[in-house]
Amino acid sequence: MIFATTTRRIAGAIALALFTGLASANTNTDALVTTDWLADNLDRDDLTVIEVSVDPGKFERGHIPGAVNFRWHTDLVDTVRRDIVDRASFQTLLRDAGISGDDEIVLYGDTNNWFAAWGAWVFDIYGIDNVRLLDGGRDKWEAESRPLSLRPASPSQGDIQVGEADESIRAFLPEVVEVASGEAADTQLVDIRSAAEYEGRIIAPDGVNELSVRAGHIPGAVNVGWGNAVNADGTFKSADELRAIYAQAGVDGSKPVITYCRIGERSSHTWFALSKILGYDVKNYDGSWTEYGNSVGVPVTNLAGTVWGGQ
Amino acid sequence: MQSTINRAPAMRRGRLFSAVLPTLIAAGLIVGSWQLSVSNGDPLALSLLLGAAFGVLLQRSRFCFFCVTRDFLDHRDARGLLGILAALAVGTLGYHLIFGLFVPDPAGGRLPPDAHIGPVSWVLALAAFAFGSGMALSGSCISAHLYRLGEGAIGSVAALGGVLIGFGLGFATWNTLYLAGIDQAPVIWLPGLAGYGGSMLIQLGGLGLLAGLLMRWHRPADGAQAVGPEGFRARLLGQRWPTYVGGLLIGALAVMAYLRVAPLGVTAELGSLARTGGNGLGLLPDRLQGLDGFSGCATAVKNALLSENGAFITGLILASLASALAAGDFRLQRVTAGKSAGNLAGGVLMGWGAMTALGCTVGTLLSGIMAAAVSGWVFALFCLLGLWLTWMIRID
Repeated sequence: MIFATTTRRIAGAIALALFTGLASANTNTDALVTTDWLADNLDRDDLTVIEVSVDPGKFERGHIPGAVNFRWHTDLVDTVRRDIVDRASFQTLLRDAGISGDDEIVLYGDTNNWFAAWGAWVFDIYGIDNVRLLDGGRDKWEAESRPLSLRPASPSQGDIQVGEADESIRAFLPEVVEVASGEAADTQLVDIRSAAEYEGRIIAPDGVNELSVRAGHIPGAVNVGWGNAVNADGTFKSADELRAIYAQAGVDGSKPVITYCRIGERSSHTWFALSKILGYDVKNYDGSWTEYGNSVGVPVTNLAGTVWGGQ
Repeated sequence: MQSTINRAPAMRRGRLFSAVLPTLIAAGLIVGSWQLSVSNGDPLALSLLLGAAFGVLLQRSRFCFFCVTRDFLDHRDARGLLGILAALAVGTLGYHLIFGLFVPDPAGGRLPPDAHIGPVSWVLALAAFAFGSGMALSGSCISAHLYRLGEGAIGSVAALGGVLIGFGLGFATWNTLYLAGIDQAPVIWLPGLAGYGGSMLIQLGGLGLLAGLLMRWHRPADGAQAVGPEGFRARLLGQRWPTYVGGLLIGALAVMAYLRVAPLGVTAELGSLARTGGNGLGLLPDRLQGLDGFSGCATAVKNALLSENGAFITGLILASLASALAAGDFRLQRVTAGKSAGNLAGGVLMGWGAMTALGCTVGTLLSGIMAAAVSGWVFALFCLLGLWLTWMIRID
């Protein structure tokens, strides 16, 4: 029995090594873990799994066993100022989740990992290494009928030290305006919203509360919807495919890139693809269109000519 | 001989109504839920089945908030009200069990996701009063009108039409009331104040006290105890179940529903219909201030044909119909102009009250009290007051 188990483990390890080898041929496994890998590694003490979902109540009604819940709209942001969570609060959050120095972290969430990717960006700003996304996110885990648990994890307090925020992967308005005005022509802008938003035919998708008073996009931005980066099952496309897709829009990694959307969360998904999978030099502009499209005096391209408030 | 010949088609018709049709409806619900689980996922399929179970329980145990209150007011028969307390007690236990999983630290300032815990304000009291008044005028609350539809109560259509109009009025007055009394109102969750143990103690103590009072005031019906029917089928379908049986099962159902989909509620879909219709006609404000920030039977503009609450209501009405047919409770009700007017007017009051209070006797009273929300208790108190005063005026 013991022999059989050991054999199975060795076979599993060989299979995993082979798989990892194959996978690394087209995706950088430093950035992603598969559902299989996560299922096999859930019991490890030095691994913390964190769910960052958009819909409240999703985590509570069943999550990947042992996972902890980060609420994007209170845990990962400053709830008063429009900003990401501050260093001290983030450190407390991570320690409460049981994270210590060298622990590995896997993030996952609903709706194609949008907010999990946003979380990964926040982790990156605070210099936390060893952070990967579950490829395909919660939807893939569920689609594969893998087990979910209702029990809350009870991690013991971690001792991770969170460093000062490194904002070199975060774009602010002045820098974006410079790019838009042609003063930093070296940088490329990628607008990941729908074509209708990009063209200015609509200001925002139906049903969202955060709006702008101008329609259109930042001058010079190319439009590559975030969904171009994923397969039907929500997993990221291979690095080769991603490279080809963005190269078609003129983004080949030879110049620095800034991604943006409406509030900065879906653009984190593209930030993740370009920066973590392809290794390009990318910043996410979290102010995005709700900041830019509300700013006074900045240049705007509005292809459709939509007038706020009516013609 | 002659009579036997004549009786045969009648018996066949009887069997068609009492056995064949209910079986077909039940089969339809099962196939429907299977279809939904394939096409739309489990929550929608579960909603249909949970709604069906709720419909059967409401119908079989006559779980009608107005009827059981009237029984008490008119005859001092407290059994029905005790049934509601039974539902609340079971629900309280189950909800707290789940809360322990959802919010391990109740003092942390977070509320459990989706639980119907609303702001406590004079607006809530007013809305609950209007709702109770509407119940007395129309002879039922919203959930009872829904299950009565399945019993052939055509008059309930007028009441539900009134509810839609009332919801429209609720949307129209929401923004004014929101700033006048709702936005600064406290949202009080007992476990947040007293912990889970304290909250259960308060809740079960309160329910126990009420039950004690009701048992004291209860006057048993005159005459000898009716002899119960014999046999399983007769007990299941021959007579109504005691309300406490329905109550205990509804308490358990409420817990299951909260765990898997959302708290029990019957007005979100009606509200969505009213909001979508009103928006289409350009009658409603574009923005309902703060509404999305509250848990409850909040209503969104429809963006899918079938929502979870829509599936729940569909299951409720169809299962109530099957249950009523099987038990021989289905009667097409005769509708009079006077009764319809009462139904409509009561419906309008209930619709306005349910929108403004973020739910009705199911969504705010049952699901709210089970969730240890002070808003649920306040709703119950003022709803009862509205019902009682209106009922007195009507009788006198």
